[in-house]
Amino acid sequence: MMALAFAAMTLALGALLAGRRRLAAAALALGFVLAIGLFLWEIWSPETGFRMPWLQVRSGAAEAA
Amino acid sequence: MRGLPLLTYLFNAASLAAIAAILTAAMGFQYLRGEIPCPLCLLERLALFGAGFGLIANLRGPYSTRFTGVTLGFALLLLVIAARQTLLDIYPRPGHAYVGQAVLGLHMPVWSVLIALALIAATAAKLTALGGDAHMQGARPSDAPSLDRVARALAAYLFVLCVVNFGSVVVQCGLGQCHTTGYALLP
Repeated sequence: MMALAFAAMTLALGALLAGRRRLAAAALALGFVLAIGLFLWEIWSPETGFRMPWLQVRSGAAEAA
Repeated sequence: MRGLPLLTYLFNAASLAAIAAILTAAMGFQYLRGEIPCPLCLLERLALFGAGFGLIANLRGPYSTRFTGVTLGFALLLLVIAARQTLLDIYPRPGHAYVGQAVLGLHMPVWSVLIALALIAATAAKLTALGGDAHMQGARPSDAPSLDRVARALAAYLFVLCVVNFGSVVVQCGLGQCHTTGYALLP
C-alpha cells in the first residue's frame, strides 16, 4: 500500500512535469486517498480503536472531589 | 515581470526550495545515519511531496488558486499525521518512544508539526498580503527567465527525490507493511 501511494505521487509529479495535467491530478487524488487510508490503518488498534488511552488528563479539583 | 506576480512566483519558489531541503535532510538521516523511517514518517514525506505538487503546478503556469488549495490540503494532512504521531509517542512506554536523533532538542514528528504550521502560516500570509490569483492573469513564468530556470530545476529535483523515495519504500516495505527494523528486500 505504501509503495502504491508513493507510485501514485511519483506518477503525479512526473505527469505534471510532462504537461499531462489530467493524469497528474488523477494520480495526485489517488495518492491523497491512499495516504489517508494508510494513516487511518496505521493508527487504528484492535484494543483501543482510534482512542489514545495513554493520555490521561484529570484536574486536581476533580480528583479531590 | 515585476510587482505582485514576481513576489508570488518568488514565494512559491522559496516554499518549494524549503520543501526540497527538508526532504533532502530526511533522506540524509535515513541513508547516512541509518535511521529507517516509520510508516507515519513516510506518510509525512508523501504529504510534503503533495504540497510541492501544488507549488510546482503554479510555478509552471497557468497560475491558479486551486493549486494553492492543493498545497494547503497536503499541509493540513501533514499537520494531522504529525500531531497524531507526536501524541502517539509523547508518553514513553514499551514499544513507543520517539525514534531517531533529536535536532535542536526536537524529534522528527514535532518538527513535522512545526513545518506544517509554517507552510500553512506562510500561505495564509501570502494570500493576505498578495491576494488571490487576479493579479496573475496573463503572467507567465517565462517572463522571469532566471526565476523560471530555478523553478524548473527545483521541480526536477523534487521529482528525483520522489523517485528515490519510491524505490526506497519498495526496498523497505516490499508490497506489505513497513517496519523500522530493516529493509524487507535486503538480506
